[in-house]
Amino acid sequence: MSDTRFVNQRAVGTSVLPDEAIPLVEGFGRFLNDIQLPGTYHVAFLRSQHAHARLRSVDASKARMLPGVIKVLTGSELLGKVEPFRSMPNRFSGGESVQHWLAVEKVRFCGEAICAVVAESRAIAEDAVELIEVDYDPLPVVSDPRMGEKDDSALVHDSCTNNYLIKREYERGDVDEAMKAAHLVVKRKFRIGRKQALCLESRGCVAAYRESTFALTVWMSHQLPYVVRHYLGKHLGLHENEVRVIAPHTGGGFGQKASIYPEEFVCAHLALALRRPVKWVEDRLENMVASTHARDQYIELQAAVDREGHLLALSSDIWVDVGAYSTYLWSAGMEPLQTAGLMPGPYKVPALRYRTRGVATNKTPVGPYRAVGRPSASASFELLLDEVARRLEIDPVELRQRNLIANEEMPYRNSNNLVHDHVNYVPCLKLSTSKGDYAKLREEQKKAQANGRLRGIGVSCFAELTGLGTTTAVGPGTLLQPGRDAVTLRLETSGVLTVAAALPSQGQRIMTAMRQVAADELGINLEDITCIINDTATAPYGFGTFASRTAVFGSGAVIKAAKELRQRILACGAFLLGVPVEDVTIANSVIHTLDRGKSISLREMAEKSYFSAKDIPEELNPGFEVTSFYDPKRGSFAAGAHLVAVDVDPETGEVKIVRYVATEDVGTIINPSVVEGQIIGGIAQGIGEALLEEIVYDEQGQPRTVTLADYLVPSALDVPRIELHHANTPSAALGGFKGCGEGSIIGALSAISCAVADALSQRGGDIHEFPATPERVLRGLGVLPGGA
Amino acid sequence: MKPAGFDYYAPRSVDEAVHVLADAGRDCRVLAGGQSLMPMLNCRIVSPAVLVDINRIEELDRVEATDASLTLGALVRHADLLRNPQIRAGWPLLAEATAYVAHPAIRNRGTVCGSISHNDPAAEQPSILVTLGGTVVIAGAAGRRELPAEKFLTGIMSNALEPGEMVVAVRYPRPVTGTSAAFVEFARRLGDFALAGAAVMLTIRKGVCEQARVTVVGMGDGPFRAHEAEAVLTGSALNGKTSKDAFNEAVAKVVAGVDPSEDVHASADYRRHLAAVMTARALQTAFERSGGA
Amino acid sequence: MAREQRIQVTVNGRAYDKVVPVRLSLADFIRENLYLTGTHLGCEHGVCGACTVLMNGRSVRSCLTLAVQAEGAEIVTIEGLRAEDGTRHPMQQAFHENFALQCGYCTPGMLITAIELLRENPDPSELEVREALSGNICRCSGYQAIVNAVLAVARQGAAG
Repeated sequence: MSDTRFVNQRAVGTSVLPDEAIPLVEGFGRFLNDIQLPGTYHVAFLRSQHAHARLRSVDASKARMLPGVIKVLTGSELLGKVEPFRSMPNRFSGGESVQHWLAVEKVRFCGEAICAVVAESRAIAEDAVELIEVDYDPLPVVSDPRMGEKDDSALVHDSCTNNYLIKREYERGDVDEAMKAAHLVVKRKFRIGRKQALCLESRGCVAAYRESTFALTVWMSHQLPYVVRHYLGKHLGLHENEVRVIAPHTGGGFGQKASIYPEEFVCAHLALALRRPVKWVEDRLENMVASTHARDQYIELQAAVDREGHLLALSSDIWVDVGAYSTYLWSAGMEPLQTAGLMPGPYKVPALRYRTRGVATNKTPVGPYRAVGRPSASASFELLLDEVARRLEIDPVELRQRNLIANEEMPYRNSNNLVHDHVNYVPCLKLSTSKGDYAKLREEQKKAQANGRLRGIGVSCFAELTGLGTTTAVGPGTLLQPGRDAVTLRLETSGVLTVAAALPSQGQRIMTAMRQVAADELGINLEDITCIINDTATAPYGFGTFASRTAVFGSGAVIKAAKELRQRILACGAFLLGVPVEDVTIANSVIHTLDRGKSISLREMAEKSYFSAKDIPEELNPGFEVTSFYDPKRGSFAAGAHLVAVDVDPETGEVKIVRYVATEDVGTIINPSVVEGQIIGGIAQGIGEALLEEIVYDEQGQPRTVTLADYLVPSALDVPRIELHHANTPSAALGGFKGCGEGSIIGALSAISCAVADALSQRGGDIHEFPATPERVLRGLGVLPGGA
Repeated sequence: MKPAGFDYYAPRSVDEAVHVLADAGRDCRVLAGGQSLMPMLNCRIVSPAVLVDINRIEELDRVEATDASLTLGALVRHADLLRNPQIRAGWPLLAEATAYVAHPAIRNRGTVCGSISHNDPAAEQPSILVTLGGTVVIAGAAGRRELPAEKFLTGIMSNALEPGEMVVAVRYPRPVTGTSAAFVEFARRLGDFALAGAAVMLTIRKGVCEQARVTVVGMGDGPFRAHEAEAVLTGSALNGKTSKDAFNEAVAKVVAGVDPSEDVHASADYRRHLAAVMTARALQTAFERSGGA
Repeated sequence: MAREQRIQVTVNGRAYDKVVPVRLSLADFIRENLYLTGTHLGCEHGVCGACTVLMNGRSVRSCLTLAVQAEGAEIVTIEGLRAEDGTRHPMQQAFHENFALQCGYCTPGMLITAIELLRENPDPSELEVREALSGNICRCSGYQAIVNAVLAVARQGAAG
């Protein structure tokens, strides 16, 4: 329990304009590709044209002779020099995958890097790539996880006995008994297509030898600079503190830039070998195959309910197509474990069983992307609940209300072993249905149906565990545990405050949020506070920006450090004013006595403290730099309820969202406008998942979605105006903050999927494969043969 | 995604351009708007040895509207067309379809002639030229020639240009009075390539359809001119009572006649179904615009 | 045949005289030869819109334009939007005040497209704004704040 917190002028809770946005809006951002060091060499990769093949030979002789080419690096040259990526072991691990930075002997997915060409320009490097001759010996392709798990399947990794990169079974409570005793058991199968984060800025790095005092400096478009630094040191045989990692302005991350990839590590190796800066910018064609994909699940689930629709048990069987390698850092376990383990969401599920598998295939590896397994899990479960509602003739909202974990029931330990507390599931649903006038929506639906129009309504409720502390793993069984991050607060010689944390921003306005919290905690003017966030040389350890954690960790650590710093400031200030420390406080960057009779500015105090230290007793002048680590121990549940109405055109299958109401519980809000932007952004990505986005491969493992004309993300016409409401309740973490970056994509995919299914159900139609493309909608309606 | 190297020419006249093309041989591309060609170059789908940039040829940047026809030079941009009140008034089908072409920045550079030459089956401009009965004006070393649209458009992404030739203009006859037209399209998002679309022109006098032109977009090879559907409609009485059956029959002919391909966005089945829906909607809209409904 | 050419081009009001490879895109020229890195590359095939600049007053995809094609042209990029005294363009100010950018990567193209829209249609409906912006992809914001910003500028303009 912390002491009473001093809170000053309430910067927290106001939509402070973010200073950090100014360079971006004026065109003076510094993204990775904007970094131009003299003497830079440019890298392009030769990538595999085959999904699975032995590399009989790689002949780069013509490429090496092209004027302007400095070097062509192959996988065999790296053998023995660098450690390949061995998949992060997981408590429930299946096979181990070994990923060479450049393919040796075999390629396992279309797009896998085979050679790195270093040249004076990117254009020349690409010219050289075209001159490299590769002799491929094609091997059988594994392109479907349910085929890939069969005993007679070809193996993606012949060092493994099968293609399971992860497999886990779990049971709590007696599921079979519950199924027998149930009034109704409903079974459904769903297919959720493959996606990718589609950051507008692709990946990239600049690696430089002795650019500053560090042996190696790497700028990387990445979310986790300290983690990258750790692994660079490990894999390149450098001391970690000889390495500096900087995340420049980053054009989107969403989890895709939180894995460790071979390409950047190749560049770092080249920089050390060539002693020149080496730059690689992933172009969009590369990004479509070289950066991690997401989702790609086959989900079979059954729910048992009683006569009133109360859930008795939930059982699921899940196959995830995790691609050719277990992604370095997070492992192939992320999607399979989260889809299965987090499926209950905010609903009381007394008995739970799941069997989940991550099966290797010859496709791009799957890694974390906004909310990971939760959108697919939630959408499947919500669709199942709607089926229960139809069969029992209970209104879908009513059914959910009966099953949501009520506030009075908290803390509530669910059958997936998560404890729900400090979160507003029912209030969110109530507010969405009241603001959305749910009853009227249903009436309008009936009228529409009478006029031959297909209107559908979907509602979804989600639970989102954010700000995970050390006792709660990001994925059950993963050994990589984020959970403690540090913030340094430093009062500078002129009395301004620096907040430093290794929590880079991809637009979440972390700097602004931490400044707001610091302003309130310390009584320092917002304008006098600067935040630095992206550089391992200037910020203390932080795991990074991931899993909706920066509001909790950054703010929590600021609060902890501020408590100590404030005491020091007041002690020193009191001495300088010649009054007891109980008589002073600080506001608006001025230390003053409570009766306002005496005061000293922070600037004056700082200058005296730094430059006239002899005049102040040492115990009152210990320095004004405080670093605090914060571990919230558990996670903080955020929540939401999304209510969506869609119109389906029964001739074309087009789905239009006609109404979107979202209520979320995101805890104590630091900056309302920033939060709103995060939520709506998440909803937009959910719309993409529900209706537009899909990565398609053919049976030979050849990608068919290769450009932005193939992979469709929502445009300004595809995202309706969102009616956003809040039913916030503080978390138990310091400050009462919660993360808010990921929840809304869950709500969106689920609510829209349910709305489409609801529309189709009025004509006896159905849909179980997503995204709900117009064609799948028509098949679901029976207008085209095949069924969805 | 940087293009491979090429020799670059920017001639200032059609004669100069034709000269350069004659010397350049087969491995040569003409650059007009570049909105189709540059992506192909950047992706290295094509890597021509020679690029002939015609954007400096002022005589090609011309719009000429007469009582008989509309002539658009090879540098007329989609956006120019949309901004031109004469074209909107005299060739409304052309204006309506052009609004579906991509997005403003693409329309500011992309040319009508370029889109037609490129002949992507999902593009709007080739089908409009066919529907309006237009022609393509070609220049080469031997002089100029003019081909009807359907002779120029030889197949998917191909045209009848011989090496050394270039398109200098397209010409659209002025629709006769009493003609109403409609263009509809279905795409995944506004501005995307059509999954299917239909362009319809109906000339109806005293309740009788004297002429019908129906072209379907997105059907595999290039614009699908629905001759059989047109035959069903031509000469038939079209009024509030008879139009439904006539249109249904016309649509059935379209469905029977198209041979769409499948791609990552749509199966052949779905495209065929959309062809029917789009044709029906275009017919209905054109009919309503004629005042007949 | 030399694969380089001399070009003279005006960018943000300043005249430049440079020799460039003929295959160099206008985007790369602006970014790497002129160090104006505010214009961004998101796809290099014309779809995402992040590279949009004004060329002779019209919005174009600088990734689909060769630098040599800009010979004699006037280019305006995001860096050229501010007034001579340094004040931001009203559209930039509105984006900032409406939280219409998050990662900021799409922002250069969005600003240019929005500015062109209001020049041609000073009082657009929300639907018209969304249509005009539909060729610029934003992955962060869900567009609502961007639309709000554009409508705010339109209202200001209407108010005189």
